Amino acid sequence: MDSATTNLTVDELNDTVLEIEDFCVDYGWGETAVRAVNNVNLSVRRSRVLGVAGESGSGKSTLVYAVTRLLRSPGVISGGSARLTYDDPTASDVKRRTVDLMAASGSELRAIRWSQVSIVLQSALNALNPVLRIGHEFDELLKTHRKDLKKEQRHARAVELLGLVGLNEDRLSRFPHELSGGQRQRIMIALALALDPQLVIMDEPTTALDVVTQREIVNELAQLRARFGFSMIFITHDLSLLVELADDIAVMYSGNVVEWAPAGDLYSAPRHPYTLGLLNSSPPLSGERHELVGIAGAPPDLSQPLSGCSFHNRCPFVLERCSRDVPPLRILDSSGRKAACWLHDDPTTVPVALRRVALATSPGEPAPGAPMTLAREEIR
Amino acid sequence: MSDVRHEARLEARHLSRHFVVRSGHGFVRPKRIVRAVDDVSLALRERRVTAVVGESGSGKSVLARMLARIVTPTSGELVLDGTTIELGSPRDLAYASEVQLVLQDPFASINPVHRIANSLARPLAIHGIPKAELGDRMRAALSRVSLEPPERYLDRYPHELSGGQLQRVSIARALCVNPKVLLADEPISMLDVSVRLGVLNLLRGLCDDEQLAVLYITHDIASARYIADETIVMYAGNVVERSEGTALIDSPAHPYTQLLISSVPDPSDPLRRAPEIEDRAGQGIFPDVGCRFAPRCPHAMEVCRTSAPPMFEVAAGHEARCWLHESAVKVSVTRREQGGNISTT
Repeated sequence: MDSATTNLTVDELNDTVLEIEDFCVDYGWGETAVRAVNNVNLSVRRSRVLGVAGESGSGKSTLVYAVTRLLRSPGVISGGSARLTYDDPTASDVKRRTVDLMAASGSELRAIRWSQVSIVLQSALNALNPVLRIGHEFDELLKTHRKDLKKEQRHARAVELLGLVGLNEDRLSRFPHELSGGQRQRIMIALALALDPQLVIMDEPTTALDVVTQREIVNELAQLRARFGFSMIFITHDLSLLVELADDIAVMYSGNVVEWAPAGDLYSAPRHPYTLGLLNSSPPLSGERHELVGIAGAPPDLSQPLSGCSFHNRCPFVLERCSRDVPPLRILDSSGRKAACWLHDDPTTVPVALRRVALATSPGEPAPGAPMTLAREEIR
Repeated sequence: MSDVRHEARLEARHLSRHFVVRSGHGFVRPKRIVRAVDDVSLALRERRVTAVVGESGSGKSVLARMLARIVTPTSGELVLDGTTIELGSPRDLAYASEVQLVLQDPFASINPVHRIANSLARPLAIHGIPKAELGDRMRAALSRVSLEPPERYLDRYPHELSGGQLQRVSIARALCVNPKVLLADEPISMLDVSVRLGVLNLLRGLCDDEQLAVLYITHDIASARYIADETIVMYAGNVVERSEGTALIDSPAHPYTQLLISSVPDPSDPLRRAPEIEDRAGQGIFPDVGCRFAPRCPHAMEVCRTSAPPMFEVAAGHEARCWLHESAVKVSVTRREQGGNISTT
């Protein structure tokens, strides 16, 4: 995808919008608490896209709800910090501000939410009020956050926002049920961009949509990002979509980040067996038909945590120590990519499939070398 | 594809389903007819997976429900093992024991307050299996879907199983009456990415080992390419393209199929771009005259807006419903009533 981040200086690279450190979230209290997010460290850089991939129950949505303090009981943030750095247009002297989201009060949060951080949810039908016209949603939002705008100005802004996502202004008088799924999701995106936020969080925005509509929305997001330069956290279970869209990808499994890498490297040279398994789980659209093997077993039950690595019971390369010790997320090489896997502790234990050389080129070049799949047999 | 002759188990001939809707407000609300499925013919053959690909609203689920006789077709006929089914007649047990349907969401299609054993025993009891045999039949059904050992699953409740396991139970429940035709309506779309392949491989295996005829309905064209012996693309109730094997995915002939394929994210091909869609506002509008894809088609011609295209043969065993292919071939082909054979006129 086109990104607006081609010529960055070192300063800008270190410029993070959101810094998440040692973040832990539990569901429930005391003995029965279930750890849904476990010691997650992530940062979102300015004007960049962080992709978060994982299956249901991996903690990816819980993480962003907790970070934005939207998590409801029985979800408990049990540790860690999250800091948001943003440019404050209203401040007179210091323009850049950092807010500790975990310590922020209700009014501080209200000032940040939507104007600095906005969120697009998976199901637009549930996120839009079914008994309010679309125009009302825009009006209410602008009334709350931009008190100086008059009614006509609010209407003009709503029309302008709809134009951004390719919708006609007559949609303002419609109810959510009168719109198609793609149109509803576009409205959600227009609402999220209404106050020109620094960070937009997308929680599976295209999962419920058809592939053609998904493609249109993804292309539109790329254009909007090139134009406005907001950062994005994009959550999905579709790794191939993320490779196209994101600059960096964090793969989550059972509440842990198991691998972090630039998108192209992650696709061409995965380092964690789970990432490899995920990449092998989507049948390709070209080439010979081979029997593919997904990942054996079932996604983990968080209420019965495994000892050691949470992936060890499904891992094809499992070592003896994997069931004993929890692997830390460690930097693997000079590119700064990280993986939490004991296989990389000793160069001799790294299987061929996890040893491929990352291509220095843009995301998506087909990688030569070792086979990606574990077993390749003709179907017939 | 192979030399083995594949016996047609279930055939649909010119199957249509129209719904009457009333739109607008007020006293007089004009009637409008929605052609959810319009003149669709297909044959499900033993040991073959027929994949139907389409987006939501293309009529693929209505088609599956008509084949299962849950929805009554407006017109057309169903032929099961050479016997034409009386459409007005209620669905009887004999039909249900031959044709079984697996639904998309296993969490919604299995009763959450009953144990798995209960969900499996119910269809068996309805189909008159003696009580003494129930246990064996249930265990056999679970083994067929690789839930081993079966005893471990019989006493569980649905919430104790993962989505992938539950979808296998759902398939086992369909299989326990030994049907010849299995209709799978988006069986993997609700499942986690890592377990989808397992269910697809299971369907492929059942089809090969047990002489099942499988209809695999999906919106994920890559998964259709993975298991299909015949592929059908539906748009707005019409079959717009069909081919033996996956020819239509490897070399799509219809503009809609081309759009569908180029929209799939494929990081291995970064230069590929989705074609521009002529008129996005045309989405959701299906004209009654002419080609139903015309409002969105980048190649739409005058003829497309005035008359509906028939199927044209693009290559051997590969046809597309598009006027663009009219000049490319000398003969126009129509699907005849006999056995879905293609004859030239």
